Amino acid sequence: MDLLFTALALILAGGLAPLSLRRWFACARALHVLLLTGGCLTGLSALFLSWNHTAIPSFSCSWLHTFTLSLTLDSLATVFLLPIFLLAPVIALYGYHYLDRGEHVWRTLVHQFFFSLLIVAMILVTLADTMIAFALAWEMMSLASYALVLYDHEHEECRQAATLYLLFTQSGALLVFAAFGLLFQATGSFAFEQLNQAPHAVKLTAFFLALVGFGSKAGVFPLHIWLPHAHPAAPSHVSALMSGVMIKMGVYGILRLFFLLDDPAPVLAQVVLGFGMVSGVLGVVHALGKHDIKRLLAYHSIENIGIILIGCGLGMLGLAEGNRIMAAFGFAGGLLHVLNHALFKSLLFMGAGAIIQKTGCRHLDQLGGLMKTMPITGRTFLTGSVAIAGLPPLNGFVSEFLIYYAAFLGLQLQGPNALFSMAAIIALAIIGGLASGCFTKVVGIVFLGEPRRQLNPQATEAGAAMRAAMLLLALTCVAIGLWPGPFIRFALHGLRDLAPLAAIGPDILGTIPYHLTLATWIFLALFLLLTALRSLGYRAKPIAQGATWGCGFTRPTSRIQYTGTSYAQDMVAFHRPFVKVKTASTPITRVFPETATYHSKVEDWAEIGLHRLLLQPLLHAVDKLRWIQHGHIQLYIGYIVLTIAVLLLVI
Amino acid sequence: MESVLSLGLTLVLAPLFPGIILKVKALFAGKQGPPLLIKYFTLAKLLRKGSVYSTTTSFVFRLGPLVACATAISALLFFPFAGMAPLVAFQGDVVVLFYLFGLGRFFTIAAALDTGSPFEGMGAAREAFFATLAEAALFAVLILFYRLNGSLSLAGYFTGTQPISLAGPQGALLVLVVVALFMLLLAENSRVPVDDPATHLELTMIHEVMILDHSGPDLALIELGAFYKLFFYAALVASLLKPLTPAGPVVGTLQFYGLLTLVYVAIGITESVTARLKMDMVPKYILTAFALVFFAIILTLELV
Repeated sequence: MDLLFTALALILAGGLAPLSLRRWFACARALHVLLLTGGCLTGLSALFLSWNHTAIPSFSCSWLHTFTLSLTLDSLATVFLLPIFLLAPVIALYGYHYLDRGEHVWRTLVHQFFFSLLIVAMILVTLADTMIAFALAWEMMSLASYALVLYDHEHEECRQAATLYLLFTQSGALLVFAAFGLLFQATGSFAFEQLNQAPHAVKLTAFFLALVGFGSKAGVFPLHIWLPHAHPAAPSHVSALMSGVMIKMGVYGILRLFFLLDDPAPVLAQVVLGFGMVSGVLGVVHALGKHDIKRLLAYHSIENIGIILIGCGLGMLGLAEGNRIMAAFGFAGGLLHVLNHALFKSLLFMGAGAIIQKTGCRHLDQLGGLMKTMPITGRTFLTGSVAIAGLPPLNGFVSEFLIYYAAFLGLQLQGPNALFSMAAIIALAIIGGLASGCFTKVVGIVFLGEPRRQLNPQATEAGAAMRAAMLLLALTCVAIGLWPGPFIRFALHGLRDLAPLAAIGPDILGTIPYHLTLATWIFLALFLLLTALRSLGYRAKPIAQGATWGCGFTRPTSRIQYTGTSYAQDMVAFHRPFVKVKTASTPITRVFPETATYHSKVEDWAEIGLHRLLLQPLLHAVDKLRWIQHGHIQLYIGYIVLTIAVLLLVI
Repeated sequence: MESVLSLGLTLVLAPLFPGIILKVKALFAGKQGPPLLIKYFTLAKLLRKGSVYSTTTSFVFRLGPLVACATAISALLFFPFAGMAPLVAFQGDVVVLFYLFGLGRFFTIAAALDTGSPFEGMGAAREAFFATLAEAALFAVLILFYRLNGSLSLAGYFTGTQPISLAGPQGALLVLVVVALFMLLLAENSRVPVDDPATHLELTMIHEVMILDHSGPDLALIELGAFYKLFFYAALVASLLKPLTPAGPVVGTLQFYGLLTLVYVAIGITESVTARLKMDMVPKYILTAFALVFFAIILTLELV
């Protein structure tokens, strides 16, 4: 635990110390990265040291003589801490060049402080062992991330997105605290370990309240509305941290509460599984319809949270039905996907940030051909795309495989649970297909082909620190894909300290890690063999360069290339009425055509629903109450007195 | 040893079978048709040539054929030809190999988009869309097979004491699956009625238009990959048709290749007597296959 505190102190120092180095901007940024890296490496060593010990390190102190704040590092916390410690330094490294804006020195330094604060807050959330500690850390996390989104606060759009985020995160927190309140009332204790003594009905209510609260943080459909707004508004490394790591805290909350309540009823599992499937499929369908690269990635976060929840839901179903092998595979798949998604989503957001920084453009259909001008960004983005599409031989496939396995085991269950497992398999297959459709779109439109618009000046490769960060993450994705064994065992090990799964050892995996590795290497060997044969086949052969074959058309321009919108059109249209596609066009009517236009927009039902069902009635009602606000101070004081009097009488 | 031999036989013979399709089609058209070995000649011709690359393309264009062919070959390693144990088999290998096909498709699409050609982009968009639906239907087949014999590997399906077969106790139910798999075979391998490999208009193509810019050994790799993929699906259907009577390796192999020829002849007949569907009918076609499998799954459920 001492090591962890050192890590926390170092990370916090990484935020504070640069504030004193205003004059030397580059030094201040470098110091931030160095201290953060030092802190995270210390944290990683703490994780490794506690890994093989069965004793669970913990710490507690009292606060205001009333509350006990305690921190505990158990195996579930370790699994969620790993992505934080791994990604924070890499993202900070990326930020070194990304935030190289001399005109915003003070703002950037404050930004770095909140960056450190957010990391500290996330670490505390995973370690918290009482409701009070958890709530404090949770609020710190929400406020710090709010400040991070506000970096470009001179833009109206950015302020709006940040306010929307704050509203969502605080309403979510409200629900979580309501759940805590219910549990406190039932058990009379703030300590996490006594939650399981609450009666069944209270547990169910509290879980569902908290599920909605945590779900809004995690970005579960239809509570995801803030995500596609906040990510395009925030700087890209903040998007990487929030999407890669912070939204996982919502998943952590759901899992932690589930295990603390220790009351696996099938209905919990079915609800979580249902949320997962809806998020997964609708997330990726909406992503297909988006043209803003960061908004598209934000919808993919919703999709991946869906996949994680499918894994966790299958695990819960396994526990509820007493099939512990299925439970272990489901949870392990979900946990491993937490790590995997953190890696490739951060990588993709970094790539998007590099593109936006260098081209000044975030609309897919105006980009093109960047693979030639930004080779490192292009190659790492391609790696991330294959990984997020869940394709072998990269890491996304490993976790999806475990979840598939759990779902197939679930087919043996009786009654509706078998149907739920079946739906999970079909949903995963559809998500996989659409995700690879969506990422061939992004890679194909942005990086391949010809530039659709002349850029002035030409895009150049991203800064060295940014390239290094992207390369590091891409290599990690490849490494997990090629040597999945240790990581699968790591995810499974994460279940060690959870009471219902404690007895499960790594032997239930059987030969799966070995065979997954074997299959990957067989493919790689074949690929290398074919590559060698191909170069043999091309020896001493004429190789010519020419224009792309235009099927007889000899004067092509780069604007006749397929666009992302047309690429995705059929796939999106197929999913109506679950997505709303709005089109407006002035068609060609005369023999000699005039200018024709075509606009299409994919709208989100959740957003429309929020507007129609909640916002408009609320505004209407508030409008009716306008007479309360009249500006007479004496009456305002009267309100206060009245309120206190009523409260005193009632309570 | 047997496994290696049967795999080798497959790798050598796979380009022969598309020749059968061409022969059947020629027969229906009243023509003599190309020789049976036509595909070998095509491959040899392509391997002798060089290539022309578009200046628009990058390394992704060159990666496409390699990945597509490598994934198709790796899928064959898992296949128990004629009921003989495959080289590699483990619980869950079907998921791996369908995702490997997905990887091949990812890079084929990326290579098509790399040329910047609007035609190839159009083909790529169709391929991505139809493949998603086909994948869902294929996983429905896997769900059914898991419910039938509790296995999640090709070897588990078609070897051992209780192989899944039309001649087995659940044969009636498998008729639906055979039809559905055959429909998916046509869709996944760009055959009529989903796609027409012989059409002359780029606008109406799916797979063929995506590879317009490939030439020489690269095109040979793509063709070879396509032969292996078609062989994989045809072998899947043929394994379902296999009778349960025990047969030695030689007789079994002959029996298997006989059934395989039947499947290819059926493809040829389908191509001769049906027209290509309109593009917007293709999703309905694939969903029909899905519905068939789904119905078969419902028959296996013992819901109270």
